[in-house]
Amino acid sequence: HKITASSPDTDLPTVSGLRKMGVNFTVSNKDTVKNSDVLFLAVKPPIIPFILEEVGPDIEARHIVVSCAAGVTISSIEKKLSTFCPTPKVIRCMTNTPVIVREGATVYATGTHADVEDGKLLEQLMASVGFCTEVEEDLIDAVTGLSGSGPAYAFTALDALADGGVKMGLPRRLALRLGAQALLGAAKMLLESEQHPGQLKDNVCSPGGATIHALHFLESGGFRSLLINAVEASCIRTRELQHLADQEKISPAAIKKTLLDKVKLESPSVSLASASRVSLFNNKHPSSKKN
Amino acid sequence: GKVPASSILASAPSDKNLEAWRELGCRTTHCNLEVLQESTLVILATKPHVLPGVLQEIRPAVGPHHVIVSLVAGITLQTLQRLLPSGTKVLRLMPNLPCVVQAGAMVFARGSGAGDEEATLLKNLLSSCGLCEEVPESYINIHTGLSGSGVAYVYLFAEALAEGAVKMGMPGGLASRIAAQTLLGAAKMMLETGEHPAKLRGDICTPGGTTIYALHQLEKGALRATVMNAVEAATNRARSMAED
Repeated sequence: HKITASSPDTDLPTVSGLRKMGVNFTVSNKDTVKNSDVLFLAVKPPIIPFILEEVGPDIEARHIVVSCAAGVTISSIEKKLSTFCPTPKVIRCMTNTPVIVREGATVYATGTHADVEDGKLLEQLMASVGFCTEVEEDLIDAVTGLSGSGPAYAFTALDALADGGVKMGLPRRLALRLGAQALLGAAKMLLESEQHPGQLKDNVCSPGGATIHALHFLESGGFRSLLINAVEASCIRTRELQHLADQEKISPAAIKKTLLDKVKLESPSVSLASASRVSLFNNKHPSSKKN
Repeated sequence: GKVPASSILASAPSDKNLEAWRELGCRTTHCNLEVLQESTLVILATKPHVLPGVLQEIRPAVGPHHVIVSLVAGITLQTLQRLLPSGTKVLRLMPNLPCVVQAGAMVFARGSGAGDEEATLLKNLLSSCGLCEEVPESYINIHTGLSGSGVAYVYLFAEALAEGAVKMGMPGGLASRIAAQTLLGAAKMMLETGEHPAKLRGDICTPGGTTIYALHQLEKGALRATVMNAVEAATNRARSMAED
């Protein structure tokens, strides 16, 4: 395969998962960098500076460094890498967990030295697992609030909808299945329609019918404002965390230990947002004409 | 607007309200029967408790050529038809206050004796006062909740808008006029573009701008649900009053 992944800790389930996919696996981050053109940094935000220290010397002009770390700015990465390479290509992205089922929502912002083609390359890669588009970097916090955290809002809603179904007599499994399908279908309708969601809602509400009665309850509970509040809270918290991260300074000695500790203790998942091991992916895009 | 004033005859027991009609150039009388004798289209606009008596009074003079239109709140077509000769062409109309400035919202329903001709006649006449639509009788109470009483909701909202502006430093008179114009303009856009209000709302909301901040406040206050409650309460009240 054209993908190389690396992690100092090989005990993690993600590692065996990657191996099964046929990915080239190594424990050396440096090896990954040498064999790759596009590097995905899939680590927790505090670890980013140390990864950059470690692989910085091996970064060359051809490399595109992609960070999905929440709250880590392009400028902080560029600053770190510029001690090693004068014009590092950096792209920052924010995605969400449904990339697992190829229905992710990803945005990216290109750094100072990343070309339009570099952005397009990333876009092509991420578009294979869902929707992907470029944004201004200062919108990434808002995206986190909306589609980053969004699946959690949906899971909560689905849990509650299923409860409603169960209360009214449906078996739990069926209730979950139907609730999920209802949201999936509605989302699909919206994406495929030119119509405003308000209009689509109206289309479902026959006069004096069941749906409009239910919607009245939602409005009474301030359903809309709750959702607005949620997106706002997530966005604001992301900014706070970024601010905190900017201020934190960890001593080098403590770093390695923390790194290893984090790698051993955290349970990994396939989600990029909670990746716990140092791993760098490489993907030479087949249609790329770069050397 | 569609009928010369001299063709209109208004009848009332006292002169209290008739002066206004005379000023418009209409003829007036104190005799209800005279109206039936002189006119084809007869509009009943009494208080509900008075109507049965008036119908009894005019019943002998009602003929198959007459078109009787009742504006009386809560009196159903069934009741009207019961108190008038069988087969009489009866229609029931529910207007709202802004008819007086030719910006009304009116709905009407026809009784069993009324046909397309009568419906068209009424619609044509009334469209000079605003929007006029034929509906099933069951919508009339809903129209009361939405638009009959609805005008008052709008006044309340306008007052609140203006108060907000006063709080922020604008003189009340100016704030009030601007509030009214804002409502007028928004309504006009809705009617003229035919676009869904949700879309029109979205069009005004620049990301992170003033409007979306304000709308969030409205949503927090569950304004939508409150308005729905109001329409529901008025409609239910209209229904229960009609049964009395």
